[in-house]
Amino acid sequence: MSKQLTATLRPVTESAVAVVIGLVAGALLMLAFGYNPVQAYVWLFVGAFGSTAGILESLAFATPLMVTAVTFAVGVRAALFNIGAEGQMYLGAIGAVIVGGTMLLPAGIHPIAATIFGMCLGALWALPAAILKIWRGVHEVVSTIMLNWVAFYFVTFLVRTYLGEPGRAERAIPALPTARYPVLGETLTAIIFVVLAFCVAVAILLWRTGIGFELRLVGDNPEAAKYAGASSSRAILLSFAVGGLAAGLAGASQVLGRPPSWTIYATLGNLLNLGFDGIGVALIGRNHPVGGVFAAIFYGGLMNGGRYMEYHVGVASELVDAINGIIVIALAMPEIVAIIRRRRES
Amino acid sequence: MQAILIVVIVIVAAAGAAAWYLANPPAPALKKIAVVSDIGGRGDLSFNDMGYKGGAEAEKAFGVTMVELVSKTEADYVPNLETAAKDPDVILVVGIGFLLSDALNRTAWKYPDKNFAGIDTFLGGAPNLLNIVFEEHKGSAIVGALAALAAAQYGYSHIGVVLGIEIPTLWKFEIGYKWGADWALKWYQNKFGKSAPVIGDTPVKDRVLWTYTGTFSDITKGYEAAKAMYAQDAVAVYNVAGPLGLGLNQAVQEIATSKNLAMGPPFWIGVDANQDWINPGFVLASMMKRVDKGVYFATQLVIEGKFRQVVADTSGFATLGIGTSVAGIAMTGISVSTLADLDEFIQMGVEAEQLTGKKVLPMAPEDIKAKVTAMRNAVPSWIWDAEKDLETAISNDPSLVPLATTKDVVDQWRATLG
Repeated sequence: MSKQLTATLRPVTESAVAVVIGLVAGALLMLAFGYNPVQAYVWLFVGAFGSTAGILESLAFATPLMVTAVTFAVGVRAALFNIGAEGQMYLGAIGAVIVGGTMLLPAGIHPIAATIFGMCLGALWALPAAILKIWRGVHEVVSTIMLNWVAFYFVTFLVRTYLGEPGRAERAIPALPTARYPVLGETLTAIIFVVLAFCVAVAILLWRTGIGFELRLVGDNPEAAKYAGASSSRAILLSFAVGGLAAGLAGASQVLGRPPSWTIYATLGNLLNLGFDGIGVALIGRNHPVGGVFAAIFYGGLMNGGRYMEYHVGVASELVDAINGIIVIALAMPEIVAIIRRRRES
Repeated sequence: MQAILIVVIVIVAAAGAAAWYLANPPAPALKKIAVVSDIGGRGDLSFNDMGYKGGAEAEKAFGVTMVELVSKTEADYVPNLETAAKDPDVILVVGIGFLLSDALNRTAWKYPDKNFAGIDTFLGGAPNLLNIVFEEHKGSAIVGALAALAAAQYGYSHIGVVLGIEIPTLWKFEIGYKWGADWALKWYQNKFGKSAPVIGDTPVKDRVLWTYTGTFSDITKGYEAAKAMYAQDAVAVYNVAGPLGLGLNQAVQEIATSKNLAMGPPFWIGVDANQDWINPGFVLASMMKRVDKGVYFATQLVIEGKFRQVVADTSGFATLGIGTSVAGIAMTGISVSTLADLDEFIQMGVEAEQLTGKKVLPMAPEDIKAKVTAMRNAVPSWIWDAEKDLETAISNDPSLVPLATTKDVVDQWRATLG
């Protein structure tokens, strides 16, 4: 087999082996509790991808994950551990509520304006972590986690007070009909096209532009980058900015692009963990914006298909979560190993 | 190279297994009822578990099979309801919880041939959707009266209530409880010719300590809220937040252990299910909201072919309360726990233990009964008499207890009662 082919196929084989390991481990867990794993997996995949409704719903679950994965991936490309997608996403969502729910704009530009505002708030929220890193070398894991919590309580406060829907204490003001993206089917809306375009744009930025090259260079080899005159500050800023825009878009997608609620719940329940799940999705997608799209679709399928396992085979919902978790860990392994190997070499 | 081979073999094997499975489908199930729960899920020992109990009883009585779907996040409501609605064997889809109203209504309109029922849901209009609501304000008034009189008896200055997310359903509990406490202290004044000791001296607006924790699943918040109330001299705290009752219990148990108490005061008051058995002697009573009867009743109507007619006759809303009846069938949905109810719920605990092999009951059934009986005997009989008086008054005058479902009514009552 030619060297070129082997090199390209290698990550695919790794992921394929990882899928097999994950599914076998999940099957063992199911057998231990007396469930039929074949039956369960058939329903998982048939439910998630076996019908038009299933596919649309899986894509709806996948949409925000595609971009929260970008947040983490673009961080890793600059040798950063940006785990602030969660908080940046909350800000994106509240931004979408503000423009989409409280302002009156013409039908054509309303969704666009609300989306852009949400993305900008997300990027703004990423800025403090970037500045702290550049100016004081504060490790971004610490700063982004703390900012996540600040965002959580701040957004919860806004949803329960100034932006709460009058008479409906459990959620914020829904996006006005003019601000909503057209529904494609089930709970999927046209915002998926915006998300896909964004992922492609990030890929182009990273591999086809000068500043993108600079970002990857700083991430791969900081010494060589410095010698070549690349600015690590600029790379860090760009990475956080793009990550913040991505997470902001994810948040906006749940407000402007997710029926039937079109808003944020007071528990933030429809936003919780989308940022952290993005990390797993990014790892499965090998930290590539386009790889992340496929990984997100797979992950969305797991999130959607789990209920069929529960319904038709009787697998307890907590066990479904455990099985999903095992599959994700197994799939994330190849990339984790690669990151560790790169750290050791540098 | 070997890795690719392994992967290919496994994929072929899996495809073969799947094909074999699809070619030999399992035998079709009996008629099914689908119960879709809210976030927080099972194991709350109140709301969601009561829904499950109703389904289990319907299974035994009508020979149907119950299937459950737990909603982990709000995004699961619509997919869960749709999964249930698409199954041709399902004769009734039940959505448990106010938060499912939108999703339930939508799904009901989308599947006009299926029957849908909601517990606490509020969007009527669909001819195939029956919203089952309860008169929680009346039950809450009764336990509010109990708590206030316990405060008078044991010399405490406050009573408390810990609530979940501030949804209109919970306003009914809050205002009913405060109103009941006020009614009781006026009753005391009438009966004994003097104002109730200690709590009678507390200004009316300060008597009831209350807070909305904003969650139906974070038990720690329940613990912290209750602990603060007990520290402020509350004799009893009413749980209006499902599983958070376990947090209230923790707070009470802390005090009981530190002061070496065998029974309350301090007490907590259970909700939805009979929670008296969770910590016998420390649960003054439980405000039982018979969600199980609601699910059972909805199933009964479908089996008897009366479902659509009842929806039409009641405009889509069946109200279960004290002394209520729907479609000519007497249907009580709200009651305050008595010793007789305790047996039923202890039996549930025994069955759960047999099923899972894990300990559910805190002590042997006879001991639970003994402790609860001892507590009820220790509480003077005039308090239980007052409870009966209020129940009778409520049965005679259905609009006696204020029903607060809109913000202005709630604000009105908060202005006088705190």
